[in-house]
Amino acid sequence: MYNLDKEIQDTRVRLCLDCGKCTVVCPVAQFDVNFNPRLIIQKRLNSKVFDIKDGAIWSCLSCHMCFERCNYRVKFPEFIIALRGEAVQEGARVMQSHGGVLQAAMHMMSRQELEQKRIDWLPEDIVLTEQSDTRFFVGCAPYFDVVFQDLGVNTLDGVISALRLLNKAQIPFNLLANERCCGRDLLLQGDKKGFLALAEANLHEFSRHGVKRIITYCPECYSCLKLEYPKALGNYEIQVVSLVELLAPLIKEKKIKLGNLTCKATYHDPCTLGRGARLFDEPRQILTGMEGLKLVEMEYNRERALCCGASPWAYCSAVNRQVQGQRLAQAKAVAAEILVTACPKCQIHLKCAQKSEGQQDGQIQIRDLATLAALSLKEVS
Amino acid sequence: MNDSAVIVVFVCNWDGLSCIEAAAQKRLTFPSSVKIIRVSCLSRIHTGLIMKAFELKAEGVMLLGCDTHNCHFGIEESLIDVNYRKALGMMRLLGINENRLSLVRLSHGDGAGFIKQITDFADQFSEIPT
Repeated sequence: MYNLDKEIQDTRVRLCLDCGKCTVVCPVAQFDVNFNPRLIIQKRLNSKVFDIKDGAIWSCLSCHMCFERCNYRVKFPEFIIALRGEAVQEGARVMQSHGGVLQAAMHMMSRQELEQKRIDWLPEDIVLTEQSDTRFFVGCAPYFDVVFQDLGVNTLDGVISALRLLNKAQIPFNLLANERCCGRDLLLQGDKKGFLALAEANLHEFSRHGVKRIITYCPECYSCLKLEYPKALGNYEIQVVSLVELLAPLIKEKKIKLGNLTCKATYHDPCTLGRGARLFDEPRQILTGMEGLKLVEMEYNRERALCCGASPWAYCSAVNRQVQGQRLAQAKAVAAEILVTACPKCQIHLKCAQKSEGQQDGQIQIRDLATLAALSLKEVS
Repeated sequence: MNDSAVIVVFVCNWDGLSCIEAAAQKRLTFPSSVKIIRVSCLSRIHTGLIMKAFELKAEGVMLLGCDTHNCHFGIEESLIDVNYRKALGMMRLLGINENRLSLVRLSHGDGAGFIKQITDFADQFSEIPT
């Protein structure tokens, strides 16, 4: 269970030297002078007048840029999560985006009597192995496609492609008919009660089916299942692997051969997969495994990659939009035709930014990594 | 009449509400468990609010608005249709019976029409599974 003092202790904020490097690299601080990671730490630690309901704590994107830069490895993103938890406990109301529809669904998903119909989309050509103790964790893609249908996103396509790639690699897996949201977004919003309810429901489902290994494609689920569940649940011994981690070595050693796809693409590192899980090379190996694909790097890439401006479906503001605009401009600057990402949330947020920019000629296409890889497979067969 | 099912009715301030007022004037009754929430226009209602009602254990949600092409504000009426469709999609995934959400359009002052709609809607809950 969570203990605020211990949580704050674990984030190492007491080592903060007040140097301000975090603020220099923070994408939010760049546009919003009221957001200052260094000052938030100083205020919370030194002053008794810190107003926990201060709006500033909600602007953080959890992009881990500050953590990357900090010489003393102060875990500011986790510190912010602890503060948000504190704020929610004291009665702060979270301003949810999209009318709170995703949060409502998450809360409903933690109900025990729930019987979701979430794998109806499964195409017939996907081979499931009934007796396998490996499960593919789909994530909220089916829900995203309903909520964001007007943005023209198809995150489920990424999932289906991921399953096809697993089939191609002959890795046996099965699906969970009643898997729940991983709960990371609720955790990021400080709703620890909601997060724990989902985590426990998922754990119950895993142990009921004797799951030993989980493959995920969504980086958020990956980070949550791998890092947050053991912290929250204690006795959690399930191995969690990312699809890119599994596929990249196979593609590199030419055990799977991807097809041809002639285009000029750039790769956008999702924060949780890149800085969070340190998977920088693997997605690029998958991309370069496609013949004809020319990979160009944006000015800010890998450890320095700019966030897609995502928030945990809360407090989306003009600043987020500016961050997104900046990312799209960086992709445009290298004249890439396609911006590839491996995260459904990045896809949704960048497409949303494009939509608000209005239809323009020469807008970069935003595609999903697994979708592209599976598409190139199709061209072979 | 099923008067135990908690039903949330989001009603638009114009033709929708006039139906409820007309029903009251004619002393027609409807189940006391029906919660009426008045909004300026049904376009105000988004998927989040509909799902929130289900999250708070409403058994049914009714969206009651003006007739098609008769919106008081003359704005694009399809807004509610989009949100209605999205809500149905969410319900399908969550395993909530789609009959638990209904979009009703009535003309001005149709009190009897409202009573019929709401009692039929409430009555089905004793029969449909979750």
